[in-house]
Amino acid sequence: MSPKRDLQAIFTKRSFLLSTGAFGALSAVGARIAYLQTLDPTNYSEAADENRFDTRIVAPPRGRIYDRFGVRLAVTSRDFQLKIVPEDATDLEATLRAVAAICELDEDWVARRVRDVRNARRFDPLLLRQGLTREQFAAVSVRLPELHGLIADAGDVRRYPYGEAFAHPIGYVQKPTERDITRAQSPEAEREDLPAYLRNAVYLRNPDVRLGKAGVEATWEQTLHGDAGWRKVEVNASGRVVSEVGHESRAPNRGSGLVLTLDAELQRLAFERMAGESAAAVVMDVVTGDLLAMASAPGFDPNQFVNGISSSAFRALNEDDHKPLFHKAVTGAYAPGSTFKMIVGIAAREAGVEDDWRVNCPGYFPFGGRNFHCWRRGGHGSVDLHNAIKGSCDVYFYQAALRAGPERIARVARQFGFGVKHDIGVPSIEDGIVPDPDWWRGQGRGVWTPGLTVNFGIGQGDLLASPLQLAVMAARLANNGRAVAPRLVRETAGLQPPGEAPMIQGVRAEHLAAVREGMYGVCNEGGGTATRAGDLQLAHTPDGRIVEVGPDTRGMEPVRIAGKTGTAQVRAITSATRGVHYSRIEWRFRDHGLFVCFGPWRAPRYACAVIVEHGGGGSAVAGPIARDIMRATLLRGPSAQQAANLAALESDDDIRLTSL
Amino acid sequence: MTIAASAARRPQGFFNQLARLNWGIITLLSAIAMVGVVMHYSVSADGTARMPIEHATRFAIMLSLAIAAAMAPTRVWYAASYGLYGIALILLIGVEIAGETRMGATRWLDLGVISLQPSELMKVAIILALARYYDDLPPHRASTLLWTLPPVALIAVPVALVMHQPDLGTSVLIAAAGVAVMFLAGLRWRFILPALGAALIGTVFAYQMVLHDYQRDRIDVFLGLRNDPLGEGYHVLQSKIAIGSAGLTGQGYMQGSQSQNDFLPEKQTDFIFTMIVEEFGLVGGACVLILYGLLMAAAMQVAMRAKTDFGKLGAAGVAATLASYVIINTMMVTGLVPVVGIPLPMISYGGTAMMTLMAGFAFVLSIDLHRDQTGGRGILW
Repeated sequence: MSPKRDLQAIFTKRSFLLSTGAFGALSAVGARIAYLQTLDPTNYSEAADENRFDTRIVAPPRGRIYDRFGVRLAVTSRDFQLKIVPEDATDLEATLRAVAAICELDEDWVARRVRDVRNARRFDPLLLRQGLTREQFAAVSVRLPELHGLIADAGDVRRYPYGEAFAHPIGYVQKPTERDITRAQSPEAEREDLPAYLRNAVYLRNPDVRLGKAGVEATWEQTLHGDAGWRKVEVNASGRVVSEVGHESRAPNRGSGLVLTLDAELQRLAFERMAGESAAAVVMDVVTGDLLAMASAPGFDPNQFVNGISSSAFRALNEDDHKPLFHKAVTGAYAPGSTFKMIVGIAAREAGVEDDWRVNCPGYFPFGGRNFHCWRRGGHGSVDLHNAIKGSCDVYFYQAALRAGPERIARVARQFGFGVKHDIGVPSIEDGIVPDPDWWRGQGRGVWTPGLTVNFGIGQGDLLASPLQLAVMAARLANNGRAVAPRLVRETAGLQPPGEAPMIQGVRAEHLAAVREGMYGVCNEGGGTATRAGDLQLAHTPDGRIVEVGPDTRGMEPVRIAGKTGTAQVRAITSATRGVHYSRIEWRFRDHGLFVCFGPWRAPRYACAVIVEHGGGGSAVAGPIARDIMRATLLRGPSAQQAANLAALESDDDIRLTSL
Repeated sequence: MTIAASAARRPQGFFNQLARLNWGIITLLSAIAMVGVVMHYSVSADGTARMPIEHATRFAIMLSLAIAAAMAPTRVWYAASYGLYGIALILLIGVEIAGETRMGATRWLDLGVISLQPSELMKVAIILALARYYDDLPPHRASTLLWTLPPVALIAVPVALVMHQPDLGTSVLIAAAGVAVMFLAGLRWRFILPALGAALIGTVFAYQMVLHDYQRDRIDVFLGLRNDPLGEGYHVLQSKIAIGSAGLTGQGYMQGSQSQNDFLPEKQTDFIFTMIVEEFGLVGGACVLILYGLLMAAAMQVAMRAKTDFGKLGAAGVAATLASYVIINTMMVTGLVPVVGIPLPMISYGGTAMMTLMAGFAFVLSIDLHRDQTGGRGILW
């Protein structure tokens, strides 16, 4: 046994021991707090701020796109929108029903939106509806206190007021795709020398960011995009904004505007004139190269794409046999057919074909053991260059081609813009094909045969050209051989005005004049293939204006144009289809109709090319369309009017809310 | 000394009794509870004062009950001690058999009218039972191994039962209170040192075999064996950020971004001390620690001047329980010990810990009020 212990003393002693331990532990906690605040190398204040503050991107308003006179074709305007935060929507269905009642939407919309909201992220505002009228917006705003989770907001949205008519040249913006985001994160981004905003995946994922995905919106994306702003906000653990940190923010900068060469009125008119057809029309200033109209039909509504087009609507567009999504004016490639005959004519004259060389056309040309037919069964009889163009005699050009040779024809064709990519600043520009013996060999098809040259003479075979290239050809014929380059963008930040176009080398003015005379004949002389298209019902006034023919224009000189029809075979002519009227053949098997022209004859200023897919012969459908577009162009005289100035257009920022 | 004698010397009227209560302790308890009210108001989630009012109301009711209970003479506590322990033990076994599982742990026993956690009752009962045991034990036996075994069993059985629920925090607190009482009762160092060794081995064993995955995860994270800032480590990381960024005087009342913006989890319960430091800084945290320190000191003072072993050991046991709560909780939120679900008593939202502590302090107040009575051993009624 141990000696007697004084338990009282032990209790006292141990009480002090325990108390000292407890106070030591409490002091340790105090010291620990001091340590965390001072000596601990982790910067907790920074960590707290990282938790607390979030930098939110403010997408910049996109640069506007104007027509040549300042008409707004693409705008970023304030839009009244309704958003909903799923987390706050205590009675979702009642709220949506109230919105539906105000905005006159049906039960189906409510059901769809209920599904959308259920699938959305709980704390992020989800776009319910945009494009509210001021009245609807006011009606919703009044009831906001009872409509939990609903946000009535004015946001930026890209709008295309002209819709379909400009869908192809202007294109549209869309949310960045997964490919954009992948590219931003890949090392390729450095190599491609992308600007910072396209290398920022976080920025691209922002729901307000849009990128140009078609037309000039895509090509001029970096010019139009603008500089993003940001604002610092305080957030809670769930990422919801608690408050704004006003002084730390940067306002976004609007992207540069873009003035196009297009004339909105003419474009709309050209587009409407082609209604129902699968067609394209290009109107070009033969002096400056300005594209005054560049329309493809049918169109589509680019506004559908801005916030994501529904898959059914996209499928309908994509599967339409008239190909509304296809930018036919620059991306379509067609055999130019007889519209190519001017090139063959020039090449033949250059090759030494005499001014008075005549060919007898019996309706066919026997060559290489087979007969090459003329489109006119009975033949044209004896024709010279003028009459061959006027009557579009195939037999003359079969032989002219043989005399000129394929290399020469190809060279002249390229000089007039065939086979050349005219970079007007839209995506997917077709450069077409100009076949020659070298190209033929390059294709692995062996030795060029004279039979190919014969076909080349009437613009058939492998030759392919876009409507834009045909317009360029017509323009270069009209301006007496100046290699004018087409342009779509007149003015934007950093764009230099083009210099004067050089003359085409080696082409003699008299040869050009000869084919022009032939084109004049097409529209204005007996036996011309498009005299109907040549009758514009316009007259020159003595003071140089162009007016519609009426009682008071008696005695004035009628306005004349020169042109050329063309027919591109879609499939080989068979005995079953030869001579059969086009309207009795199935649509997709009909020939493409083409027409190129320029005017006014007195002093050519405008060139025009029209292609109507499966429109039958060039004089049937394409000619009248070209005539009407040309007539409207001459009446408006867009090149004679003062064009808009970007700086002046951009200075009136404050009217942007009311102007649309 | 007899009851009659003491009754003769002191006036026994209710208001006289009230006046002789240890008002220092009552003031400290109230001050600490007020800190809770203030902090709950700071982050009232629903914008109303519901939580602070509830906290204040709960404290007021419990304080009234505690004062009423303090009027009971020491012999009542003495007589009730084993019975209380027995009831607590039976209820704990009842939990084992028929307990209700909430949030993965079986701690609650539904008694029809109220549902309670018998483990909380045990925290007080273990102190009273051990105090009585040593009060009853003749001094010469207190030092022997044989007579040391019953208290070890008294502690071990409920600790094992609570551990099995599983409730690591409460079992630690029960063990701490029991061991503290044994230590103060004069447990010999020659028993203590081997027991410490055994405890160490037992801890490793428990870590390997007994602890649940989530408990092991917490320890792993604490020891730096695992880095898991979004999982088990998240609470402590956010807590350290809040404390580390607070500075000497804090972000200001209702200005703590970690607390106000919900980055700090459990801010009104286990991590409320973090919020105090974030909003009131090192100074605020130190003040709260000092309040607790004063309360412990007051309880120890009661223990020192109590005349009976029962009173001394009981009051000191309550002080030890309080100290365990505060030290483990504050060390946990500052990252000094692994995460254990132990609230900051009287401040954290919720009635359980408050009830346990108020019951304990009812006993302390009673001991102090009746310190002139001999109580304890030899007193019959």
